[in-house]
Amino acid sequence: MNRREALKRMALLTGGALSMSTVAGIMGGCNTSPSDNFTPQTLTSDQNELVTMLSERIIPATDTPGAKAAKVNQFIDHMLTDWNTDAEKKHFLQGLAHVNELSNNSYDDNFVNLGKDDQITVLKKLEQEAKDNPMNNSDLKPFFDMMKEFTVVGYYTSEIGASKELKSNIVPGYYDGCIPYSDVGRAWS
Amino acid sequence: MKKKNYYVSNPPEEYDAIVVGSGISGGWAAKELTEKGLKTLVLERGRNVEHGKDYTTEHEPNWDAKFRGQGNRKLFEEEYPMQLRSNVINEFNYHFFVNDKTYPYQTDEEDPFLWVRGYQVGGRSLTWGRQTYRWSDLDFEANTKEGIGVDWPIRYKDIESWYDYVEEHAGISGQAEGLPQLPDGKFLPPMDMNCVEKDVKKKIESSFEYRHMTIGRCAVLTQPHKGRGPCHYCGPCSRGCSVGAYFSSQSSTLPAARKTGNLTLRPNSIVHSVIYDKDTNRAKGVRVIDRLTKETKEFYGKVVFMCASTLGSTQILLNSKSDAFPNGIANSSGVLGHYLMDHHFRVGASGIFEGYEDRYYYGNRPNGIYIPRFRNINEATRQKDFLRGYGFQGGASRPSWGRGRNMDGFGEEFKKKLRDPGPWRFGITAFGEILPNKDNHAKLSADKKDEWGIPQLEIHAHIRENEKKMRKDMAKTAVEMIEAAGGKKVQPYESEYLMGEGIHEMGTARMGRDPKTSVLNKHNQAHDVPNLFVTDGSCMASTACQNPSITYMALTARAADYAVNELKKGNI
Repeated sequence: MNRREALKRMALLTGGALSMSTVAGIMGGCNTSPSDNFTPQTLTSDQNELVTMLSERIIPATDTPGAKAAKVNQFIDHMLTDWNTDAEKKHFLQGLAHVNELSNNSYDDNFVNLGKDDQITVLKKLEQEAKDNPMNNSDLKPFFDMMKEFTVVGYYTSEIGASKELKSNIVPGYYDGCIPYSDVGRAWS
Repeated sequence: MKKKNYYVSNPPEEYDAIVVGSGISGGWAAKELTEKGLKTLVLERGRNVEHGKDYTTEHEPNWDAKFRGQGNRKLFEEEYPMQLRSNVINEFNYHFFVNDKTYPYQTDEEDPFLWVRGYQVGGRSLTWGRQTYRWSDLDFEANTKEGIGVDWPIRYKDIESWYDYVEEHAGISGQAEGLPQLPDGKFLPPMDMNCVEKDVKKKIESSFEYRHMTIGRCAVLTQPHKGRGPCHYCGPCSRGCSVGAYFSSQSSTLPAARKTGNLTLRPNSIVHSVIYDKDTNRAKGVRVIDRLTKETKEFYGKVVFMCASTLGSTQILLNSKSDAFPNGIANSSGVLGHYLMDHHFRVGASGIFEGYEDRYYYGNRPNGIYIPRFRNINEATRQKDFLRGYGFQGGASRPSWGRGRNMDGFGEEFKKKLRDPGPWRFGITAFGEILPNKDNHAKLSADKKDEWGIPQLEIHAHIRENEKKMRKDMAKTAVEMIEAAGGKKVQPYESEYLMGEGIHEMGTARMGRDPKTSVLNKHNQAHDVPNLFVTDGSCMASTACQNPSITYMALTARAADYAVNELKKGNI
């Protein structure tokens, strides 16, 4: 059962009175929330769930694990807490709210509750918005670009991204400037 | 009390030789002086860095780093702003660069001078670019032929055997090419070019007369050498290398000095000034402020070697005031602090190379290719617009996941695309000579001091007409060579260059024949004070376009040899 369907049914069962966050709590069982002890410092648990889902749509699990398994959400929370400026943080959090706005406008539900295809449609809209308004005159960049950059950096610098998806070789031992690509088969991270 | 008593509680210690600084030049001075039997004190203003043990980030994967290699942005912006602007610090090496907040200096807000420093045992030898190119007489004769600055008091023949000597100890890998403008050295086997570079080399050399491309000559071992291990191609040298594959004071010169039993190395010792004895006209020693306790202490020596980096040595000399030298010791000429130079860069081009999609490389080569100077090297290459010349450094590679930041799309296709490396790209950046100009200078601040009470340096320097015209030519020749080599979508680039960011600052205590216009003679000996030697980059009378460190090494070894002979003869 996909999440959106599950929640709709639940809303029916309960007369639709449950708030979304309560539902998220109840739905913990088939939820995507990370199983370890991570407590986000900047993101709320809803925002953390949204960031986790967005990152997984940007770099999904395929024949190798994706952004969620690489805990990109934790990296993003860490960067927002200790690395980004207050203005960037605010802009990013507004962007998260905007994701749900788009999602609710089209599907009458929050992003995390949508099916995969609908999530991709929302992300495509976000990508188009970023292209239409690249914010060239600002120190900030469009939310989609920020989210994507976070995901790319967070994923490919993780152990999963660097050594399962790509190839990592920290002490190669020698140099060969011209080998068949098929001997490696993947980019060096 | 008129004069501060600098040695109330600490009796002076006496040595044969005092070396100020433990970087590339100081390490060489230490090695040469101790091996020749002098009890030598090396004073280093920063903390100790022990070979191996203190390379705390060596081989650390991104995923173990707090900011995944992105660096602590807030810390860098607040406390390392100048080091950050120079684009050399990162999460894994910033502990080898200075905190600008702790060690401030004054410069122009518009067009600042970027002073990149490494205050620790080993200095910047831990983080240097390791490129090593000899000078030729084209460089040593340029000033006098063109009537620029002062004539170098030495020629290639004076330094040639010293290049041999330091190269044999340091271990330089490279390819002999037989070029008059870039003399060959004592090379270990060269590193390999990759497939695209090999092809580009052929095409550049067949398309342009006088243009050559060679693998970078670098102070990185390609085979075991004097107890040090060869390169294992991990890549990021500036984190430190515990097998000692690249030359640093820690891997090469300090161990040799230590072996003699004549070395005393004292970290956390900020040299305040050189003590001048007017009765003997000698440098008697140095005044030191302990970095941690702020206690002052004097050290005496028969000979003093200043190796504290160009601006570091200059600052100390300027601050060494006496009745005989009210403007700084050995500064009767008044040129101390002037004629500050660097190499200008941030101009170049790159292009895509097709047809090699099935080729890749193994290992992270800490070296690139070099295109030696080809402008103004003879009548045929004479330029109307500018004097001197430039060389190119660069290489070919395939971009990895980093390009994903700017690549369209997301999802499965996006991930799949990033699994393969991107297209081969070959790019080059020019490094050009900057002419000496008196207005490019450093002086002591009239009112600003550091935490240790030492006047801060105030630095003013920028590039002028000759460099600006050269930059146009750099962009042009970069594009034409990459196009001739078969590059596609060739893009030139030129971004703002600030003086200092070449990290090749030179010239503020220049050598020359005339004591009226230079600080040092042909032996790096102060014209004014015979037992005072300055052998770091401040001695340079011009910059050439080659990376300078190997020349500092050779000049230092040569000066140490001279100093010891003079001591033995009783001349100093």
